[in-house]
Amino acid sequence: MNTPVTDQKNVTQPNPAKKRKLIGDRGNYFLNRIQGETGANVSACYQCERCTNACPVSYFMDIKPHQAMRYVQLGWREDLLTSSTIWVCLSCEMCTTYCPNEVGVAEVINHLRNIAAHSSITPKERNLAVFHQTFLEVLRKSGRVNEFRLMNAYYLKPNILHEKIKSGSFKEEILLGLTLFRKGRLKPFTARSKAIKDIQKAYKQARGEIV
Amino acid sequence: MKLSFYPGCSLEGMAVDYARSIDAVFQALDIDLIEIDDWSCCGATAAHSLSEAMSVILPARNLYAAEQMGLDIVSCCANCFNRLRFSQQMIQKRVLDIPWPVTGDLKVHDMTRFLADPDMIKQIEKRVLKPLSGLKLVCYYGCQMVRPPRITGYTDYENPQTLDRISTATGAQVIDWSYKATCCGASIGIARREIGDSLTKRLLDKARQAGAEAIVVSCPLCQSNLDMIQKDGLERPIPIFYFTELLRLSFSDRGNPRWFKTHFANPVPLLKAKRLLR
Ligand code: SF4
Ligand code: SF4
Repeated sequence: MNTPVTDQKNVTQPNPAKKRKLIGDRGNYFLNRIQGETGANVSACYQCERCTNACPVSYFMDIKPHQAMRYVQLGWREDLLTSSTIWVCLSCEMCTTYCPNEVGVAEVINHLRNIAAHSSITPKERNLAVFHQTFLEVLRKSGRVNEFRLMNAYYLKPNILHEKIKSGSFKEEILLGLTLFRKGRLKPFTARSKAIKDIQKAYKQARGEIV
Repeated sequence: MKLSFYPGCSLEGMAVDYARSIDAVFQALDIDLIEIDDWSCCGATAAHSLSEAMSVILPARNLYAAEQMGLDIVSCCANCFNRLRFSQQMIQKRVLDIPWPVTGDLKVHDMTRFLADPDMIKQIEKRVLKPLSGLKLVCYYGCQMVRPPRITGYTDYENPQTLDRISTATGAQVIDWSYKATCCGASIGIARREIGDSLTKRLLDKARQAGAEAIVVSCPLCQSNLDMIQKDGLERPIPIFYFTELLRLSFSDRGNPRWFKTHFANPVPLLKAKRLLR
């Protein structure tokens, strides 16, 4: 873990950038909180890595699913909340299904994503966070999510737009949109759900609460 | 028979062909699908990613509306089905206060399992006018329909059989493969294209290696994801069918090429070569 650096006097000193983390210096508060809130049995994880091997996107994660479980056990909250793992996870439930100890890996990762979303931490995978956010905004407005409205709202988010124009993929997206429209698969106007009033009430009720 | 139907948002847009073929198939089977009154979005991946409470409340509104109608629910989208079932279980466990008086007692079916019931398969076989013989298919279930088993109720989640049974009933040749329930990455495809594409391309490759000429799916997101990646015209396109499209084709003695005009990987040449379409 800590890479030694050699200074002029040939004395090895710990690399300050990789400060060693103490194990168990915070008690089990974080572990207990996560276990209580998700009902997942994280303590049962014995690092067999079956979850990571089953995960289709573990390659794109900085903290692999089995490591994430260990981090929870150790209470390394900040590392988890600033990881790309919690946003890259597809909630495909491979990990949970194949864990021999029935640790709810996917549920824990999803819950960490919830905690990160309700914090001031900048998500490591900003685009993914913005996409989820946009989805809920469209949903809040019309009760149903029309793909046309969703894509518009998403691509017009300032950072996303900037990125798309810079990488030159904006034109491609518009062309794809036109093709879809011509094929009849993109409909700008679809029915809204009148239940949206009730849903907005529910939104208010749920705000800030974590299941 | 009457059922309440939860179409989901995709059916109004990207999955028009799914919507049309469902209508045709259920009409042929004499089952009335009654759309849930004023249904709203189930919240999909976004709701549970950002707020677990919302992911229970959003589907609960639809469960409530269906309970008012008193009809069991059938859902044709894997993700909607998963979210409805999840919400139902949370309601039964009384995990949080729901703004509507909902009991969660109705049955929530996913459309494939509903149609793969032995009695329904008999009904389907009776109506097949033109068996799709010679068509080599692999069935792709995706993740949300089968996993996690404690929510979806699938016992054969490693090797699900429902789509296989339905496709076999249409007379097609179903090939076994190992990627039936591997995620296609649809939920990530828009924001992180390269991750989504790597998963999707692998599925197409593996289907080809298994010797399939087409893939059968039952989820609007899987279909558009697997289909749209072929928009630039691959050397050997591999059409992605909804299972209801195949049922509709086998129920009619002369199919109509217009049924498939929204597909990117055009299935018409394949079907014509197999003399399944005139
Ligand atoms: S599969 Fe389960 S026990 Fe094994 S490393 Fe993953 S969470 Fe731990
Ligand atoms: S749910 Fe997330 S962590 Fe688990 S296997 Fe799927 S992508 Fe990987």
